[in-house]
Amino acid sequence: TSCDFADVQVRPEEVREELTKEDLERSVDLYLTETETIWMLDMPSVVVSVESEEAGRILERNKIYADICKTRPGNDRFVEKMMQTINGPPKNKEVQCDQISMEDKGVTVTSWDLYDSFNVSEIKPTSKAEGARATTRKSSKPHPTTEHHPTTPVCSDTDSTTSPTRVLESAVHEEEERHSRAILTSENFQRDLFFMERILMENIFQPKLAAYRQFPVLTDPDVTSDTGTEAEQTEQGKEKKDKEEQEEAFITPSILSDLNKSLEEVLPPRLERLWSYTCDLTDGHGVSSMAWSKANPDLLAVGYGAFDFKEQKKGLACCWSLKNPMWPERIFRCEHSVTALDFSKASPNLLAVGMYNGSLAIYDVRSPNDAVLMDSGQSPNRHTGPVWQLRWVEEDGGATGEGKAERLICISADGRITLWFIQKRLDCTDLMKIKRTEREEKKLLGMKERKSEALISQQAAGMCFDFHPTDTNYFLAGTEEGYIHKCSCSSTEQFLETYRGHKGPVYKVAWNPFSTDMFLSCSADWSIILWHQDSQTPMLTLNSTTTVVHDIAWCPKSVFVFAAANESRVEIWDLGASILNPVISCPASPGEKFTSVLFATNTDCLLVGDSKGEVRVFEMQNLAALNSDKV
Amino acid sequence: AEVEETLKRIQAHKGVIATMVVNAEGIPIRTTLDNSTTVQYAGLLHQLTMKARSTVRDIDPQNDLTFLRIRSKKHEIMIAPDKEYLLIVVQNPCE
Repeated sequence: TSCDFADVQVRPEEVREELTKEDLERSVDLYLTETETIWMLDMPSVVVSVESEEAGRILERNKIYADICKTRPGNDRFVEKMMQTINGPPKNKEVQCDQISMEDKGVTVTSWDLYDSFNVSEIKPTSKAEGARATTRKSSKPHPTTEHHPTTPVCSDTDSTTSPTRVLESAVHEEEERHSRAILTSENFQRDLFFMERILMENIFQPKLAAYRQFPVLTDPDVTSDTGTEAEQTEQGKEKKDKEEQEEAFITPSILSDLNKSLEEVLPPRLERLWSYTCDLTDGHGVSSMAWSKANPDLLAVGYGAFDFKEQKKGLACCWSLKNPMWPERIFRCEHSVTALDFSKASPNLLAVGMYNGSLAIYDVRSPNDAVLMDSGQSPNRHTGPVWQLRWVEEDGGATGEGKAERLICISADGRITLWFIQKRLDCTDLMKIKRTEREEKKLLGMKERKSEALISQQAAGMCFDFHPTDTNYFLAGTEEGYIHKCSCSSTEQFLETYRGHKGPVYKVAWNPFSTDMFLSCSADWSIILWHQDSQTPMLTLNSTTTVVHDIAWCPKSVFVFAAANESRVEIWDLGASILNPVISCPASPGEKFTSVLFATNTDCLLVGDSKGEVRVFEMQNLAALNSDKV
Repeated sequence: AEVEETLKRIQAHKGVIATMVVNAEGIPIRTTLDNSTTVQYAGLLHQLTMKARSTVRDIDPQNDLTFLRIRSKKHEIMIAPDKEYLLIVVQNPCE
């Protein structure tokens, strides 16, 4: 049976009288009166006191009555008689009333309940707004759904009347859909998803992350670990077989023979692969550069570009966080391949990215979208060749006269080392650089250098540079011809020294962070050369492979240890142990070339980037040199 | 949108058995399990979340529950509760 709406009785909503402010201030008179006495029961007594006036009369009457009762039995004046009364027929009458429905309502009072009731003024407007939104959709029909607010006891008690008419049912579905869409797009949901992903990652990667932080890795006793933990447990060597499938490191024989002299329990140094930063997005791009954030040592920026520089793809710069090794926190898409990047120290949210077409972009990593903060596209002095390296360098004092200014310096293939600074810092639409002090690198092809000439015919392409760790006035620059020049910030035309030794382009130079007279350089001529800054001939030449060495980096903890990435292997050299062979050598899988290395600053780990877009994190284990003091 | 991508990524992660989003009435909005199991999970976990939230707020009414993790022998159930929905992910933590 279908019931019409008009028949349905709805308890009228209690209307609350709105009190205005004037009402509060108006003085109200309150009157107190007594009502009339209401008689509920009046029972006159049958007892009279002996001392009252009627007492005599009543006593006499009582006596007369007693006499009559005595004379009654034989007296003619009293006769017994019976009578019949007519009883009216009884009639039944029935009355029917609606069932009185009873409802039990109970509330468990909790302390948060009380708290919420006191703060109900904040919560009530939101529920009112939601109710209003829903009712405007269906003009005169009541709510098809009741709103649930489990945390607030002040719920709107509207009865839910679901009508069987089709119109309302479809409206119910629509409302639900809208509601679910609203849920899915709400900010809270996005935030919860974000946290959930990170927690999932923590679950998956927990042993690896513990190894990264150099905590002892604990295994879950309930969980049957088939692949097992990565770091070695000193108590049981239970999952040794699983390490083989994960490992790519093996030990060179020379080191083994050295270590055999020591205790047999000491394990040879090796690289333990913890995890790698990779995802679908970065697949196929080669890693060209990596940099740690200066403020947060767990935040890594990786620049991706086509490694084979004949085919240029769109580049990518991603910021990876330790908390999520499977998806980057920030993705910045660039027009051209990224060839260099660096985080700023003074403003740690700025990331400078250099690209293959010579342009420079500065991103703000705080914003989740990949809009460029500043771009060098319109600058008239921009580079015309790929920016091979850039760095934010702190200058002590210097030309500006203020304290420690930080400047952005890049070197590029058009032969210029340029200094950029940002005048309009907060303006993101304008040009990035305004003034640039040029340090012209002028070099003749292979001839002995001539002193400061006004016009030099050609400029050699610069590939890399490194500032002296303690005195930022000096820096080294490596060129495509194989020369390394020591230059000074004060003289823009002359080199202080030239170091000749490489026969191919120098890809990287690096000062030793501890022993600041030495520096290392690597080149496409398959060799790594160790120099002393006072001598123009190499001190030590290290040849270990027949492939191009792309990157080198000194270990920040030890004076002798450095890492080198050549195309087929990652090597860790310990000059204190051996100068002929690397201590650890880790081969790449076929098809992959290692292109960059980076040491972690707060832990004994090494990051290696390769041409397939993967950044592997290795933990260096059992490297004795890491514990020794600097010489 | 990005929400869809993140949801898909979570679903595709190693060890994730199920991902569910249910609204406050227990009706699934997004789920990777069949309906009956989802409704069962939703009902039970809703009650548990209520109890947990009540506990947290009883101790300090200004506090509120943000996340709930239940680790059992076989899996780990992670719940992100909200006033309007429940985000539930069941993961098998062993690799």
